[in-house]
Amino acid sequence: MNLYLAYQGLIAFVGINALLALSVYATLSCGQLSLANAGFMAIGAYTGALLTLHAPGIPFAAVLLASALLPALIALPLGLPVLRLRGVFLAIATIGFGEVVRLGFVNWDYTNGALGLVAIPQRTKPWILWLTVLAVLFVLGRLRGSRTGYALEAIREDEMAARTMGIETTAYKLAMFSFGAAIAGIAGALEAHFTFIVSPSGYSFGRVVDMLVQAIVGGTAYFVGPVIGAAFLTLLPEALREAGSRVGLSPGPFRLFLNGVILLAVILYLPDGIASLPRRLRRRVRG
Amino acid sequence: MKRALLLVAFALGFACKDQGTNAPKQEGQAPSAASSSGGAVIGAALSLTGPAASYGAQQKAGIQAALADLPVKLDIRIEDDASTKEQGITVFQKFINRDQVSAIIGPTLSNTASAADPLAQQSKVPVLAVSNTAATGITDIGNYIWRDSLMEKQVIPGAFKKAQEKLHFKTAGVLYGNDDVFTKAGYDVMQKALADLQVKVISTQTFAKPDRDYNAQLTALIGGKPDVLVVSALADNAAAIVAQARQLGWKGAILGGNGFNSPAFIKNAGAAAEGVMVGTSWNSLSQDAANQKFLAAMQKTGVNPDQFSAQAYSGVLILAEAIKQSGGKTSREDIEAGLGKVKDLDTPLGKFSFTPERDAQHEPSVQQVKDGKFQIVQ
Amino acid sequence: MGQQVLNGIFVGSIYALFAVGYTLVFGVLDILNLAHQAVFMLSAFFALVLVEHGLSIWLALPLGIVFGGLLGIGLERIAFRPLRGRAGSNLSGLISSIAMATVFEAIAAQIFGPDISRFPQGTFPDRMISLGSASASLLQVCIVGLSVLLMAVLTFLLAKTRLGRSIRAVAENPRAARVLGIDVDKVIALSFFLSSALAGAAGVLFGLAFNSISPDVGRSVELKGLAVIILGGMGSVPGAVLAGFAIGLVEVFTVAYAGSTYRDAVSFAVLFVVLVARPRGLFGQVAVREA
Repeated sequence: MNLYLAYQGLIAFVGINALLALSVYATLSCGQLSLANAGFMAIGAYTGALLTLHAPGIPFAAVLLASALLPALIALPLGLPVLRLRGVFLAIATIGFGEVVRLGFVNWDYTNGALGLVAIPQRTKPWILWLTVLAVLFVLGRLRGSRTGYALEAIREDEMAARTMGIETTAYKLAMFSFGAAIAGIAGALEAHFTFIVSPSGYSFGRVVDMLVQAIVGGTAYFVGPVIGAAFLTLLPEALREAGSRVGLSPGPFRLFLNGVILLAVILYLPDGIASLPRRLRRRVRG
Repeated sequence: MKRALLLVAFALGFACKDQGTNAPKQEGQAPSAASSSGGAVIGAALSLTGPAASYGAQQKAGIQAALADLPVKLDIRIEDDASTKEQGITVFQKFINRDQVSAIIGPTLSNTASAADPLAQQSKVPVLAVSNTAATGITDIGNYIWRDSLMEKQVIPGAFKKAQEKLHFKTAGVLYGNDDVFTKAGYDVMQKALADLQVKVISTQTFAKPDRDYNAQLTALIGGKPDVLVVSALADNAAAIVAQARQLGWKGAILGGNGFNSPAFIKNAGAAAEGVMVGTSWNSLSQDAANQKFLAAMQKTGVNPDQFSAQAYSGVLILAEAIKQSGGKTSREDIEAGLGKVKDLDTPLGKFSFTPERDAQHEPSVQQVKDGKFQIVQ
Repeated sequence: MGQQVLNGIFVGSIYALFAVGYTLVFGVLDILNLAHQAVFMLSAFFALVLVEHGLSIWLALPLGIVFGGLLGIGLERIAFRPLRGRAGSNLSGLISSIAMATVFEAIAAQIFGPDISRFPQGTFPDRMISLGSASASLLQVCIVGLSVLLMAVLTFLLAKTRLGRSIRAVAENPRAARVLGIDVDKVIALSFFLSSALAGAAGVLFGLAFNSISPDVGRSVELKGLAVIILGGMGSVPGAVLAGFAIGLVEVFTVAYAGSTYRDAVSFAVLFVVLVARPRGLFGQVAVREA
């Protein structure tokens, strides 16, 4: 029991990071690289924290719902113009959006600027967190093999061709962009009600890069990939804490180094991520 | 080819590694060495990596220096909170549930403290903060959270008052980092202190932590012709700000916030640092026996002491005193009760007591850079 | 006022120098190289080590530039070449460049620690020059001069030399370039050399100018650089030069007239508005939208 208590925080962060990686996966699943999710996460986190602090009577489920809806709604008018941009340009535009959101919170006196909101009650219970993860996985799982799922795949493979086939590419892309925003928003609110504090420094460009890296390392071909990536990269630093100091390297740079090397190795040699490893091994054994 | 190139990068790096200016910080061995000898188990969550790593290194040295000659036995386990609240929470939960510590020192950053301290409060584990200066979100969490670091509002108003007596300024230009907890909190206090002294703020400018170029802000501030420049910045930014202000022809006085209290500031700012005035919770030149002992102990660690190591060192002394006050018993409740009895303890910070709100209470001082060194302003 | 214009030109010249290389690689490979900032940072550290070993800055600067260029060639070999020809290679290239940036930052953090390092006092003669009511240091004047010179050299290279024509051909259409007998791999490697050498130059000059080098020093410049290359038009070298100065001046005047809290937001707002309203930027020719 004590061992579980000692690592419950770590286990919770696996769940939160899994949601964030899934939020990046949502847009990647139709071939769009959006880096706006740290911004959506911030909006969700502040929404949830403000509701809980100023209206403590509202049930947590309603708080989470609001934290998902607001980013999802903001994603619609934002998505319309930016989703017309291709590849890298979409990424850059959404980086800009994320930074503007962060700077907005830095300069907003109502939320205490850089100091953020503190003393948020801890309402995120492990079962709420993991139920949310399961719910998101369930939705993504149902998409697979459905009409929508095929449409998303078609858009990912070749957007032009998908459009000539009569697929409403814009509507699908917008829907997934908004869905990703909702997941990021919920994750933000869950984190805020777990760590007792929200402040703008938690939603920098580095945060969205972390989400992306976890999604890619886990694998974006299949929806459990991001969860595996998030678990792997969240637990790794704990394992390295010991190892790093033994070989005499400062643990921080060593962790950073290993993160970079793992990401590079995955991109070069395992483009479908760790999730594809079992399949690959099986194929090798058979072949 | 590609490997060769990568090696060039590595080789270059390791070639200059033994210059010693930035030797990588070792971690983990020294504190656990004491564990075999028994004594109360204390966890220390310090930022040994990440943006606050330079403070964490000072704190670690301070703790180790304090352990060297202590009346009671303490087994202090140092863990890295990586300057993030996530790692802070993870480390706290390990301390509380796995290591079953009697008390916790840290964490380094106020943000991390706001996230992790409530866990200790829930489990009734006393926490002694040794560097958190935020006014809210620390000791107001609950009765198990204590701190030996003065808040900005305990240091800055007095420092500014003394500075005004010396410099007779009536107007000021203010520059502060608005994306950082430490510097924003400092600014909030400065603004109020200036208003209380009836100093007119001609203009206020901001910068962000990653910025390196402050010329535009400084030009705008200097253009308003204030009597003094008031700057709330971390040591890293502070040095460059002061240097750039001097380059733009600013000859007047500069008042700094807590972030200036670092040997790194003087080193990096060089001659530009001359005349800068800062309030500090640690008087480096104090002739008190406790401070002299601290300086001697720090010399052995090879780390140039600053306010952070002094506060961490004092934190260990305070915990030892708390154990002594509770008759040598080391359970969580005993230490909690003992902390309440700490009064007028001799530390490098001066005579130390807690306020009824469990905040630090001791005399701050004002220092000024003269001939490349901080000197106390009497 | 005059001083603020000088400040803007000064910081703008560094933005431009950084962004020119950034945009060059984008034009040739259609890849956003997020490791550009890490090359910038490592080159600054490299020059710093040389100066600390007693070398004159006039030797350390060119060596730093060459070091940056070599890093660029290594970067291309390790992180970009293996991906070439794969479907969706511009997104995976973006990600592998993030990986390389992480590795570079980790190396720097391991060697130099998290604190800020600086060039020793007196690395560069400390002299002030007054221009009317404004003043600039000799160093600042040299930095602007050097940046303009380097960018002029690059423009000349691209416009007038065989290498430049090859680079432009590869940027236009790699397959056609290969048919014409151009060694595409070599041209790409050379583009990376040029691009990263300029990042190196920008890094060393930045380190000299602001006296603060740290493993994360490139990050804020990187985000500003994005605004610059978008405003200039992705892939356009003259666009990046103009946009660099423009963003530098816009920032400075935002500080002077609206307050510094809006400064960073303005760069990102420029980036965002340009992408939505005129995605080609000032001079871009690259297709920005799908279809």
